[in-house]
Amino acid sequence: MIKRSFFTLAKPRLNYDLVEPDPKELESIPIPSNLILLLNESIDGTKQALVKEGNTVEKGEKLRLYNESTEYTISPVTGTIATIDTFSDDFGNNATYLVIKNDQSQTTKANSTTYDLKDDIASADEYLRALPGAPPLKTLANDDIKIHTIVITCADTDLLSTTHQYVASKFLEEIKQGTQILKKITRVPKLCITVPENLNIPGGFDSIQVFKTALEYPSNLPAMILKDHLNMVLPAGKTPEDLGICFITAEAVVSLARAYKTKSAGFEKILTVIDKQGTQHRVKATIGTPLRRIFNTFSIHVNDQDRIVIGGPMKGFATYTHHHPVQPDMDTVMIQDRDIIPQLSDNPCINCGKCIRICPVNVPVNILVRYLEADQYEEAADKYDLESCIECGLCAYVCTARIPLYQYIRLGKHELFNLRALETANE
Amino acid sequence: MNNIKLTVSHAPFWHDGDSLFKMNLNIMIATLPAVIFGIIQFGAPAVGVLALSLSSAMIWELILNLISKKKLSIGDLDSAVIGLVFGMMLPAISPWWLVITGTFVAVVLGKMIFGGIGANPFNPALVGMAFLMLSWKVFFDFDAAYVNYEFNFTALAPLAALKFQGVSEIAGLFPTGDLLMGKQVGAIGSTFGLGLIIGGIYLILKGYVRWEIPVSFIAGIIVTALCFSMANPDTYAGPGIHLFSGYTLFGAFFLATENSSSPVNRIPMLLYGFFAAVMIILMRNIGVYEDGTVLAILLLNVVNPLIDTIRPKVLGKGVNNA
Repeated sequence: MIKRSFFTLAKPRLNYDLVEPDPKELESIPIPSNLILLLNESIDGTKQALVKEGNTVEKGEKLRLYNESTEYTISPVTGTIATIDTFSDDFGNNATYLVIKNDQSQTTKANSTTYDLKDDIASADEYLRALPGAPPLKTLANDDIKIHTIVITCADTDLLSTTHQYVASKFLEEIKQGTQILKKITRVPKLCITVPENLNIPGGFDSIQVFKTALEYPSNLPAMILKDHLNMVLPAGKTPEDLGICFITAEAVVSLARAYKTKSAGFEKILTVIDKQGTQHRVKATIGTPLRRIFNTFSIHVNDQDRIVIGGPMKGFATYTHHHPVQPDMDTVMIQDRDIIPQLSDNPCINCGKCIRICPVNVPVNILVRYLEADQYEEAADKYDLESCIECGLCAYVCTARIPLYQYIRLGKHELFNLRALETANE
Repeated sequence: MNNIKLTVSHAPFWHDGDSLFKMNLNIMIATLPAVIFGIIQFGAPAVGVLALSLSSAMIWELILNLISKKKLSIGDLDSAVIGLVFGMMLPAISPWWLVITGTFVAVVLGKMIFGGIGANPFNPALVGMAFLMLSWKVFFDFDAAYVNYEFNFTALAPLAALKFQGVSEIAGLFPTGDLLMGKQVGAIGSTFGLGLIIGGIYLILKGYVRWEIPVSFIAGIIVTALCFSMANPDTYAGPGIHLFSGYTLFGAFFLATENSSSPVNRIPMLLYGFFAAVMIILMRNIGVYEDGTVLAILLLNVVNPLIDTIRPKVLGKGVNNA
């Protein structure tokens, strides 16, 4: 953990990690006997289910809950569905998880199901959403969202993570191929790529416009990329997609290139795993592998009250189970020992102003948090710029009173969204 | 499945390690040069006043915690800082009841009834001081206070001498160097200018004091005093004596910078510090008070919420379609 230095007149600097110059090959995690797949749709008992416990699935088979479902996942193995149950995330959104019992002999023997991939976005969206790196094909295929710029991210958004950079330095050719495919299927005129300014990628990216991103957090967050490199200001409450900008990870581009080459899906996700000592391990694991398997490989002991963080120290989330599966968009997994988990408090804001000094977008966090604590979400948004927050987490990182500021802001945005949805429904 | 009970919480998962306890401890450390000097200068009575002030402030908070059945909050040292800062503003021979009454007003009326730490609209120590100064003015006559002391320097309170005797009378009595080195009569913790500056710089470097406030405060003192002195050098003293005597430096680094009652945005901080200093000089030169620091800062505390609305535009505000 990066601590406060002795003299802190200047605001603390949190720098992104860079991938080492000649990275080692990935550690491969064998396909486990049970895989867990998440489907972003809740179980509805009134509908006729397409997947049932006991069903057999093929490697590469598309799995949907119901006939009219738009969400799907792809089975990475041949086997049988052992369990179907509900999974809730930290905001209480329900999803469904499927446990698939891997038939080892069949999986290794069988080739993955091939798909009828054409050079249009619709057919890619039909089969390739669950590729490693989670390409935002749903957004790209949506006719209501006019995307005019695609930004490929080789610079990791959160601290410590080096997964995207690793992909960029190892699979340059495939990124180039994937970019061509992306261009062809989406017909988006402008493609750009973000690379950390200190990362040297031999060969470069030919004709693609390269954005050299600064080393200091949070310069790789989408809103900052827009501001620094595309000269656009993200309006409060809008997403980059609303402005016609779509972000796609380098790994997703590589996966697309491979998928179009073989006409089938790949399932091996690249992850940066950070153990309790802070050592980084880079692994290749099949989507659906429970994290426990990865920890076992590196003899990382997970004890009571430890914390498993998925997605980096500033923006990630903590899972409540070490059976949490590897997912297509999971770039980083970090374990924190119970002894180093910082304590939060219920102290009120003391108005010390550290959050104001560090906020990259000038949100008046000290006033905002007072409104959020009092559940005044509308006022918080109207007067104190709740929706302008780009969710970097720096305010909570420096808070002297140890208020969970970032969580208040996320909750505020969530509640505001619900309030507005309710208002629209009542009209 | 062997289930492990993991800690589940929300991002960010790191913290820079700072806490209220550390912040307040650092403020107390920063007062040490001035406090130690005050103790050496004024002897055992100073130790008594400081100890009583610090402990009674904490006890008042403890009592309030118990009465209101809230979590005990004295561990964050906030009332310890209030007590210490309050004690540093008292003359060394203050009677015990004065100290205890003062800390009662400071901690209970200044802080706890507003909801405790972070909720006070005024600097609590100053609320206590203002109360005492208006109620028992006689105890703040520093000339009378140290009547039994033997000093090897001019045993006159500089600001009182300036007020009642005039610039020409005191010329040469208070060399700036002496004032800076603490060779003056005054409150326990406010005489040693150099120590206060060292403590203040320490806090600025540690990030616990926002540099804009002391810098603009000192600039305000110098500019305003200079204007007065240039307009009429026979009536008004120059910036030197104003800056290094009374509570001025203590105010710049330890009073005006109290978190909850001071602004956090850059322009408001500069305005706040500057105008607090302007008010001080106005009170000293035109008003009836010898040293207006306490009231001037309290007055600016009132203005703080208003001026702190001057803030930079948020990224993305007012942009509807880019």
